[in-house]
Amino acid sequence: MVTVEEIEHVSKLMKIDVDDHSEYLEKVQTIISYFDILDSAGVESEEISMPEIPIEQLRNDEYIPFDEKLIEKMNHYKGTYVRAPKM
Amino acid sequence: MTKIGLEIHCQLTNLQSKLFCSCKANYREFEPNENICPVCAGMPGSLPRLNQEAVKKATMIAMALNCSTPEKIAFFRKNYFYPDLPKNFQITQLNIYGDTSVGGSGTISVGDKKIRITRIQLEEDPGRLIYEGSSSKNQITLVDYNRAGTPLVEIVTEPDFETPKEVRDFLNILSDLLKNLGVADPTLEGAMRADANVSVHGGNKVEIKNIGSFHDLEKAAHFEITRQESLHDRDIPIAQETRHWDDRRKITVSSRSKEEDMDYRYFLEGDIPWVKINPEIRTELKSEMPESISSKKERYVTKYNIPEQVADVLSSDKFYSDMFEKSHTESNAKEVANIITTELMGLEDTREKRESSKLTATHLRDLADSIQTGKVSRNSSKNALHEILKTGKSVSQIISDLDLGNVSDESELLKIIDKIISDESEAVEQAKSNPQTINYLVGKVMQATKGKADPTSTLNLLKKQIGI
Amino acid sequence: MNLKISALEFIEEVKTGNITVEEFTAKTIERINQVDDKLHAFLSVNDDAIDQARNIDKKIKSGENVGACYGMPISIKDNMCIKDTKTTCASKMLENFVAPYDATVISKLKKQDAIFIGKVNMDEFAMGLTTEFSAFGPSKNPWNIEHVPGGSSGGSAVSVSSYECIASLGSDTGGSVRNPASFCSTVGYKPTYGLISRFGLISYANSIEQIGPLTRTVKDTAFMLNLIAGIDPNDNTTINNNNEDYLEGIESGIEGKKIGIITEMMGEGIDPEVLSATKEAISKLEGLGATCEEVSLDMVKYSVAAYYTITATEAGSNLARYDNLRYGYEMPVEGYEFNSYISKARKNFGPEVTRRMIIGGFVPSAGHAGKYFLKAMKVKSKLTKQINEAFKKFDLLIAPTVPILPFKIGEKIDDPVSLFLVDINTVTANLTGKPAISIPFKIVNGLPIGIQLLANSMDDKLLLQAAHALEQTVTLPEVPI
Repeated sequence: MVTVEEIEHVSKLMKIDVDDHSEYLEKVQTIISYFDILDSAGVESEEISMPEIPIEQLRNDEYIPFDEKLIEKMNHYKGTYVRAPKM
Repeated sequence: MTKIGLEIHCQLTNLQSKLFCSCKANYREFEPNENICPVCAGMPGSLPRLNQEAVKKATMIAMALNCSTPEKIAFFRKNYFYPDLPKNFQITQLNIYGDTSVGGSGTISVGDKKIRITRIQLEEDPGRLIYEGSSSKNQITLVDYNRAGTPLVEIVTEPDFETPKEVRDFLNILSDLLKNLGVADPTLEGAMRADANVSVHGGNKVEIKNIGSFHDLEKAAHFEITRQESLHDRDIPIAQETRHWDDRRKITVSSRSKEEDMDYRYFLEGDIPWVKINPEIRTELKSEMPESISSKKERYVTKYNIPEQVADVLSSDKFYSDMFEKSHTESNAKEVANIITTELMGLEDTREKRESSKLTATHLRDLADSIQTGKVSRNSSKNALHEILKTGKSVSQIISDLDLGNVSDESELLKIIDKIISDESEAVEQAKSNPQTINYLVGKVMQATKGKADPTSTLNLLKKQIGI
Repeated sequence: MNLKISALEFIEEVKTGNITVEEFTAKTIERINQVDDKLHAFLSVNDDAIDQARNIDKKIKSGENVGACYGMPISIKDNMCIKDTKTTCASKMLENFVAPYDATVISKLKKQDAIFIGKVNMDEFAMGLTTEFSAFGPSKNPWNIEHVPGGSSGGSAVSVSSYECIASLGSDTGGSVRNPASFCSTVGYKPTYGLISRFGLISYANSIEQIGPLTRTVKDTAFMLNLIAGIDPNDNTTINNNNEDYLEGIESGIEGKKIGIITEMMGEGIDPEVLSATKEAISKLEGLGATCEEVSLDMVKYSVAAYYTITATEAGSNLARYDNLRYGYEMPVEGYEFNSYISKARKNFGPEVTRRMIIGGFVPSAGHAGKYFLKAMKVKSKLTKQINEAFKKFDLLIAPTVPILPFKIGEKIDDPVSLFLVDINTVTANLTGKPAISIPFKIVNGLPIGIQLLANSMDDKLLLQAAHALEQTVTLPEVPI
């Protein structure tokens, strides 16, 4: 079961203001309980696998500057800084 | 009992490009946000492109620290929001699905002690923040992403240190080792940072974050031990918490943000496949690794008969041991080592001085040879060295320009000695009754010859002329 | 001027001088102006298209080298970056975002003289399968505008099926190309994972998604694949396809091929019309000399739960960068503290994205990862093993693309789990990295049904040959718009 407190906690963790947590509760709860089906998959002993790449195929260490002033296409402030709120 | 564990972040400053893009690894020369591209600025749709050399260099560090190196390495996302993180997650490594970090466990000797290394991971550095505004109303943060994506190696140790001194010794060894490997210059500003966890008397572990230099790390450990001991003495419980090192006040301060609430939601970075580093590659890397400091030291002692202490100083410093390797010959090795450790290291004690120095390997070789063949006294060689650093002129040129050549002609030296004996009759009498004071007269001769006379022959001739 | 021609026919017509690129482009824009008010496939139309068309015509006239697309109008899902063009992901969060670079697929197509006629609608950040979750309003199914066109690449499918362009690029995370292709009666293709570079595709669930073409014919898909597939230094997950020519030998047929019918996709929850269409397709394939036999992949039962767990987790991380600091909409930072600022700024995500973010924060979190995320990853591994096992015995697998017919707009929007189950037949290809294609097969009561074929990794060419063979067995009515 998912509680309103959990939704509050997670929305904080994901940094999204949710005005009414109960609004999300029902749907999120339905979805999460649907995920319980995973318990019966019997996959505990499976290994997690991922695609692989040999080290030789990785990029060479070479300095190539980006061909434009990217900061000019971003929100900038006081010359070339990005502005953030106080910490 | 005090326990200290370290997490050391070391930038791979000798690389050309960042960890996941081709922007410059050394961000220090740029105006704010001029060393960025869609990848390191985390623009929508951009993907990381892993730097091969970074993986190799990090693997070498793991090997040099006697850590295991796996056949496959994996990258993970550490998810948290912070303005210096353009993607609001950091690509790093972990060992949650087996040993997939670039370095596994290992040990390194610090004096008589073995320090266990938990793991070594390759990760990206965040950008930098500048805080602006005075009142709480107008406060904002300025962000510069030039540093974001700089290749960083994190070395995590077990809590095996018991004193700040051990921490310092370890850091010195580590710093020399990284320089010797040619992977990093730990003296560059911000190139080495650390977190430390400290506990006393088996109490709660306190993490200290954000220590900006090795120097401060020792201080921070010292401060924290004292703080915890004092709490312990007064039976005040020590809270398990994260504290920050306040660089200005040189104290640790409890962090306002609740780090224990952090839930990083680590999971595999799908944009980077697992990187296979097969045994042949690892063997190749091993063979490419420069000679270790300890093996260098041993070679200096056994092959050239260089005194242990000199060999120690010389081998630990990559810059000077490289210079030694380039300039010495079979016959003058000891002399070259001597010039480097007793004179040169003192003259070139800063990066600026090293960089502006005009000294070459040929200079050192010629100077050592000149001393050995008696063309210049050891004493005058110091002046010559000074002049070389400044002008870069050849050793023979400097000896003649500054008239530093040894007064090797005995009759000429005798003339000078006779003059001194007649001028300093009082001192001569004193020397006769107390032979120790003859050094005063040796000094006078040296002064008169501008240090060019050989001290041993001067002494002998003086004794002979005075008759003692 | 006939807009209803295939890509290959268009190129022939331009090459032979029967039509000019300018004429065709102008006519296409006219068509968009005519029908898109009703369909809402486009989020933006390229103002320079006519100029670009003129330039290509000039090149053709003067005998200069012309790229393989000859000015073919292509629509692009609005989650791919075209330099100096708005790329919104159909989200308020990126409403004003102008991409500073070209996606790899875009720069490849630019070199081949394609004309990007416009950016097309989608579910916000590709989260959805109806295009109803676009922040800029839903797209409509041209076969019946009361029905959803499928999604999330709904705009792509609508624009191709209603002749607002010749081909489109969509992206497929769990069926997002194949599902709308099936609902709108176009070909929709999800290649082997890594065959097409994702550089410049705005990530939703990066470990399983691929860009894929939507076209009128299978041959057109093969043609597009020739232009955009292959290893890309900007995407470490791309694989080398040795410059495979997917058009060459596309008419080879499927004589002697073994096709497995996925049991789990033919039973529970399937619409009888869809089931009977699939059976019809199977007998047509048998008629072409293939042998068909049932095969069970029992992990399919868990695939949707695994799929949503993994996608929510990756999305939660991929969408974290939208904090409104570096780009985004006007909202001054003064007076805010960091957390409160971005939490407020991120309210601009729509409700479905917010919901998936909450799930994406929940399932991989410290207390729950073992129960949800880890298990989902293991289901993915086991499903991959099972399908690899199946491909030892079979050359291809078959199933309906979607178990049900296109439904009405609004019908399922409030029922997340029933919406999930619409994905049951498509997520397997994503979770296992296999190529899959939806082929238009039938129109029942005025609504399309697509048939899905899957092949083993890197068997994309074989898959296209089989799809072409099946396609040749059907003649479909024209879209009624």
